[in-house]
Amino acid sequence: MDSFLNALALALTPMSIAAVGFGTLLGLVFGAIPGLTFTVALALALPVSFSLETVPAIGLLLGTYIGGMTGGSVSAILLGIPGTPSAAATVLDGHPMTKKGLASLALGTAVIVSVFGGIFSLIVMVVSVDLVSRVAIGFGPAEIFALVLFGFSTICGLCGKSLLKGLISGVLGLMIMTIGLDAIEGVPRLTFGSVNMLQGVNLLVAMIGLFAVPFIIEAFSEKPHNRNAPRPIANVRAKLPSFDLLFRNLWLMIRCSVIGTGIGAIPGTGGAIAAFLAYDHAKRFSKTPEQFGKGNIEGVIAPETANNAVTGGTLIPLLSLGIPGDPATAIVLAGLMIHGIVPGPALFMNNASEVYGMYVAVVLAYLWVLALQLLGIRVFIHVLKVPRELLAVVVLVLCAIGAYSIRNSAFDIYSMALIGVAAYVLVAIRVPITPIILGMVLGPTLENEFRTAMMLSEGKMDIFYTSPTALGFIGLAALVIILQGISELKLKRKNGRKVQVSDA
Amino acid sequence: MNISRKFCGLLTAAVTASTLVFSSAESAEFPDKPIEMTVLFGGTANTIAQLLSELMSAELGQPVVPVARKGGGGAVGYSYVVGTAPNGYNIVWNSNSISTSRRTGRIPFDYTAFTPIARVSTEIPALAVNPSTGWESLSDLQAAVKASDRKLKVGISGKGSFTHLTSAALFDAMGIGDKINFISYGDGKAPVELLAGRIDAAIQWPGQFVSYSQAGDLTVLAVTADTRAEILPEVPTAMEQGVDVNISMWRGLAAPAGTPPEIVAALQDAARRAVESDQFTEAAGNIGFAKAYLGAEEFGNVIASDDVFYGALLSKLGLAK
Repeated sequence: MDSFLNALALALTPMSIAAVGFGTLLGLVFGAIPGLTFTVALALALPVSFSLETVPAIGLLLGTYIGGMTGGSVSAILLGIPGTPSAAATVLDGHPMTKKGLASLALGTAVIVSVFGGIFSLIVMVVSVDLVSRVAIGFGPAEIFALVLFGFSTICGLCGKSLLKGLISGVLGLMIMTIGLDAIEGVPRLTFGSVNMLQGVNLLVAMIGLFAVPFIIEAFSEKPHNRNAPRPIANVRAKLPSFDLLFRNLWLMIRCSVIGTGIGAIPGTGGAIAAFLAYDHAKRFSKTPEQFGKGNIEGVIAPETANNAVTGGTLIPLLSLGIPGDPATAIVLAGLMIHGIVPGPALFMNNASEVYGMYVAVVLAYLWVLALQLLGIRVFIHVLKVPRELLAVVVLVLCAIGAYSIRNSAFDIYSMALIGVAAYVLVAIRVPITPIILGMVLGPTLENEFRTAMMLSEGKMDIFYTSPTALGFIGLAALVIILQGISELKLKRKNGRKVQVSDA
Repeated sequence: MNISRKFCGLLTAAVTASTLVFSSAESAEFPDKPIEMTVLFGGTANTIAQLLSELMSAELGQPVVPVARKGGGGAVGYSYVVGTAPNGYNIVWNSNSISTSRRTGRIPFDYTAFTPIARVSTEIPALAVNPSTGWESLSDLQAAVKASDRKLKVGISGKGSFTHLTSAALFDAMGIGDKINFISYGDGKAPVELLAGRIDAAIQWPGQFVSYSQAGDLTVLAVTADTRAEILPEVPTAMEQGVDVNISMWRGLAAPAGTPPEIVAALQDAARRAVESDQFTEAAGNIGFAKAYLGAEEFGNVIASDDVFYGALLSKLGLAK
């Protein structure tokens, strides 16, 4: 209790509150701008944190992380370009809501459920860090492979009308990620002797290309009669979600928080997987699954709750095991280490008040997110009043800077453009884009965990069916695929019958 | 203030990187614009680089901007820096990886393509096992492996990685090199796999083991350098236990070959003062690396002798190309 009060005193100084607030704002801005991500924001915040006291320093980094995670939804909803990979699932229903003129409703809901998910995961973390980290340790290569396979099966729910086109898209994503030096043997694949290809295709670069470039091309290929009167993307109305709307979805929010926290706790997974699983889950258990993809609010609630619940989840292995779950938490880890806080089992003995200070900082960061975003929505939605082709120019510039800044490589700008043009063609022939992202996010994990598992078992497949956890997830994946197959068949039969009727 | 300077630095770097090659900036006042420090890896490499560049910025009066060019086991970053003008405005945060990248055929040039500036730090690899094995020393492990017909599962961070080389050299010297099953994990995951008991042993950086070792969750058997690691003072070296292995990783700074000596000297000086600062000393203790400043000339000798050593080791392990 003493150390808690001590932490409260440390974390509620004006300096700490300001540091968390600054971090949150920085994260929000970088997260919201397509092309700039919160990993870049964290890299910028890290040196600043060196010169601060311990608790404000951690507060700055955590604030940036949390702000970035929620900021990603802004451009996802307004422009259909996810600010971060974890917001890719939010595009599916968030952007259609904007087209219906419900942008502010979607944004407001996204913020509130984000805060809900974040605080939920923090509470889970505080009360059960030991238990959860012990369960998370149980996830070896075989179990993570099975979990990711289950995540991959959600492709079925993202395909839209044609399962075949969805699968083509997913496999394209998997194939793109095999380019470069493979992580296990260190063998260059599909690099054609080029050093630039050795680093592979960066997920973020590809994501910018996939979502932003088609947006830009479409903006300029509008029909000529629009040229004189530039058309805004949609009407703007400032309207926030009602308490009733949120309360009706409380149960969904809790389930998605659990998904997010659980996925976050397992190292090597992350926000994007959690968001897609939550989206698929929401669609599957929804009373109106046919509304998904057309602007259903549940399609915004699910991924946004889950990807923020990941923030508390990833802190579990980070603090108790010293294992960063993703590149962003790796930077947070560096900040902790510099300040002499070495995560691991001894942390809670040696640095109890800093740990409590961290908890308070997370709560502060979410309060800042709530305040900044709810105020910000009034500003953000004015973006929609900007004529599309002017906006496209801004997006083009930001994306080029963003693609460059991820790895400081001009090569990445070219690959972004190339992938973007390919994406435009795919959109034109109605191949869905989201499964590509899913393939790219999950592909490397899927491959590496499978190969590591095979090394562990010295080449025997029994490692996958002797573990109950792995078996459970493989079973779930099979179930999803079978259910999809059945519904496809039913649909075909129904359509077939319709044709017969019309023939007669 | 600081953040805006950093951000300006990043933008400047972004804008100048493309034009830098063509500009010939060899003025009397070095430096008169931001210096780009290419960082090749994440983890501790990145953490130390961030701090070092911050301290060097204060020394030089111009921002030293750490720029991550990861990937290809260092090949991407080395190739970038080698192609820049030798004017001191592009330096690389290098390590033994210059030799391993070259000897495994990932880069078409060797260490002579760079002018050494200064060595900054060393990290000593440590070998840990799960306490349930009951092993307390290298000879316990050796005896158990020799008696068993099962292979020892050893976690590494990828084939040809530094942890792989060190493990291979250690177990080879112990005479159990043919009874090892190497398992590759991504960055920093080996300790968890060790805790969960899915692997038998792993070589990682001491900083990653300290917390577990204190809590009694892992047993650290040995470090592989000729001196003990400051952060793990009670752990004996492999040499003390009669196994002839001496491997540690150094990190330092280098510029493209042909950089004028006076510019190298200015950078070397800034690096020395940064390493001597209190903040750097404190970070070394926290993160678990050793300060190991060496001037340009001595650093060059270390690089050259290491290159021969790793060449021989990689050939022996069948990884050389």
